[in-house]
Amino acid sequence: MEKTALKYVEKEVHQGKAFFRIFPGLCKGCGLCREKCPEEAISWSEELGVYGTPTVVADPEKCIACGACEQVCPDCAIAIERKAKEKE
Amino acid sequence: MEVMPKIPKSWNLETKPHKFCPGCGHGMVLKALGQAIDELGIQDRMVFGCDIGCSLLSWDFFNVDTVQTHHGRTTPVMVGVKRANPELIVVAYMGDGGGYAIGSQHLVNAATRDDKITVLLVNNTNYAMTGGQMAPTTMPGQKTETTPYGRDVSEAGYPMMGPEMVAAISHEGAYVARGSVAKFRRLKAYIKKALENQMAGRGFSFVEALSTCPTNWRTNAQQTWAFLEDQMTKQYPPGELKTPTGKEA
Repeated sequence: MEKTALKYVEKEVHQGKAFFRIFPGLCKGCGLCREKCPEEAISWSEELGVYGTPTVVADPEKCIACGACEQVCPDCAIAIERKAKEKE
Repeated sequence: MEVMPKIPKSWNLETKPHKFCPGCGHGMVLKALGQAIDELGIQDRMVFGCDIGCSLLSWDFFNVDTVQTHHGRTTPVMVGVKRANPELIVVAYMGDGGGYAIGSQHLVNAATRDDKITVLLVNNTNYAMTGGQMAPTTMPGQKTETTPYGRDVSEAGYPMMGPEMVAAISHEGAYVARGSVAKFRRLKAYIKKALENQMAGRGFSFVEALSTCPTNWRTNAQQTWAFLEDQMTKQYPPGELKTPTGKEA
């Protein structure tokens, strides 16, 4: 993988409980994730992907970090990471 | 800590992003296979065989030993590999054109001989690499390059029901299932069961994965899912057709 593929755009979603990461060097802009999102939280982003097509970005208000987009992404460009619970 | 994309460990990172079109279902099927390989821990004793067609673009996909053969001949090549060294886990990866048209005799014979291999067949209802011509799995009424008015069943016949055929001719101990990339977890479970069936040496394992082809279907993302989930699953119902225990587990 080229080094450019490792760049990512991160966003805190689900009331700050999780991260939505998109790797523009892997995203081909097919849009399959947008249709599979149960909350319709994913929209097109300003960031361009590997083929010069728009990548996606999640709405922090709507996203519930369910991971449906991560599953259907054929290129593994989306990574959802839930934060570990902080110890009190 | 460096943040990495959630890519299966068995994938070859140097060849990513892969060569498939945007929205191609091959990526999802290979992701399911990669995760199954990771979970079973069989990367070091695995041989992956790919066919001609779009599926050959997976020749450098995995960090496992890979063979690429001619149309549908992946099945006999993998049978040979398995017979030469039964310790290896072999996967014959092919498309519907390779598996059901030109290579159907190999599929039929391997299933009849009950060879202990896993066949993973990706069904996207056309010959995608050559531009979207009619394949054995093209659905009645579906428009392709060679059926511009839709597939006419009186002239071109009915689509091929592969897993049903394999389930009918295979023997006890065979595993036959049909998954869909729209139900990713279930597809992964089927692939994992098929690999486990081979590892246990019970018999022939066959999984058909219903896949997407936005380039040749000429669909956007919404229409792609609609075609896969509403139309294809009616013609090709997903589910387990044959399990070693007899009934659906």
